[in-house]
Amino acid sequence: MKNCLGVNGVNDKILKVKQLLVELESDAKQFPALDRNSKRALASIKMLELNISDIVAFDLADS
Amino acid sequence: MNHQKYWNPVLETLPREKLKLLQFKKFKRILNWAYTHSKFHKALYETAGLTPDDICSFDDIKKIPKVEKSMMRGIQNKDPFPYGDALCVPLEEVSTFRQTSGTTGQPVYQPDTWQDWEWWSECWSFVLWAQGYRPNDRVFIPFGYNIFVAFWAGHYAAEKLGCEVVPGGVLDTQSRILKIQELNASAIMATPTYVLRMADVAKNKMGIEPSELSINKITCAGEPGASIPSTKKRMEDAWGAKVYDHSGATEIGAWSYECRNQPCGMHVNEAMFLVEIEDIDTGEIIEEAGRKGKMVITALDRVAQPCIRFDSKDVIEWDSELCSCGRSFRLIKGGVLGRADDITKVKGVLLSPAAIEEVVRSIDGLGDEFEIIVDKQGDVDRIKLKVELMPEVTRVSIENQLKDQLRLKTNLGYRIEFYDYGSLPRYEVKAKRFKDLRKTNI
Repeated sequence: MKNCLGVNGVNDKILKVKQLLVELESDAKQFPALDRNSKRALASIKMLELNISDIVAFDLADS
Repeated sequence: MNHQKYWNPVLETLPREKLKLLQFKKFKRILNWAYTHSKFHKALYETAGLTPDDICSFDDIKKIPKVEKSMMRGIQNKDPFPYGDALCVPLEEVSTFRQTSGTTGQPVYQPDTWQDWEWWSECWSFVLWAQGYRPNDRVFIPFGYNIFVAFWAGHYAAEKLGCEVVPGGVLDTQSRILKIQELNASAIMATPTYVLRMADVAKNKMGIEPSELSINKITCAGEPGASIPSTKKRMEDAWGAKVYDHSGATEIGAWSYECRNQPCGMHVNEAMFLVEIEDIDTGEIIEEAGRKGKMVITALDRVAQPCIRFDSKDVIEWDSELCSCGRSFRLIKGGVLGRADDITKVKGVLLSPAAIEEVVRSIDGLGDEFEIIVDKQGDVDRIKLKVELMPEVTRVSIENQLKDQLRLKTNLGYRIEFYDYGSLPRYEVKAKRFKDLRKTNI
């Protein structure tokens, strides 16, 4: 069950989304809607990191 | 998806050795964060002669000085106002203010960033998913939506899970019951005191049988009760619903939960929190099951005002077995057993108010409410128990059973006062039923 999730592949996608949001946030200085919504989205991405990325980063996935 | 048992099937079933490694790495991460961003934490650790680099193994964690609530009170009300030196982010990143309930003294302020607030609802998501909340639930939350964190994050977590959430603030108890009935709500979240209060009002003031309402599950938090078997049974019998316990705190987070298997205990969310149990007298860390101690807890991902080795004063013990639900998160047996500042000696005997609650609520002829008053006459401790008789129940039919059970379960004799049903104070949220007048010299 755990391995069919493919945590490594999921993590790659999380990191890509995070990178895009970081770029959006840095683009957003004069655009409050973009700035604040990007920040909120990054907070949600952090939850994906806690649920998935930490497993990969700390090498805890099933081998 | 809805048939999936675990909110996070990887973390909740991680083998114990990997879980411990996760906890250690996350502890180092939050320790580094606090050390580099909080003057309070940096000074605390440097006074102890420590930097994060000195923590090289899991066993080193206990070297990190604990934080007590009194320390937080001492640093607050200063700049960056009102949080003081424990704040780890710029003030403009604080999106949410809450404060503790003040039942143990001056309230402590709790700042959270938006990420921390997401984290709160994420931790509650583990709770609610484990208790069977799913997108087809309509969740009624009957609390004041005020300055205390209470069920705020439970609300947001229920939304995250896809439930429909009905905020029941402002309404009085009767209006809330009518709304539950009107909307066919399937779940409620409340303190055990309020769950029983709502049942009492529904049945005895409104002629509504709570067990005939649509509620099939109740999440309790805010005070012990849902892990006390007789209190849980009273609530389940009254509502015809399953009752699940959860323990969290403003300054900690939503750290534990009972699952649908109802294992007479609660899982610690060990992916998000590190719980240590400390012997109350010696300070030694307790690893083995069956020994009670004080909980020292770290929230591994909370950033605005980190909670690192916080001395919670909650008394817990590890269960010897893992739960049959399959989670590798350890259980604390019997839930939170009480407060270290409530568990006291009377006539030389350790007394737990929870043990008295279990006896009182196991006797059908007694009402839900009771009071325990400890005082001194000269040098001799005395303990008085006030209870209510249910209507048409006589004192003579109850008294011996009550005295015998109290003696058996607590090893103490009591002066017992019997009151008519409805005479003792009713509480709307948290009850304060235990009073130790020896401490106040009254």
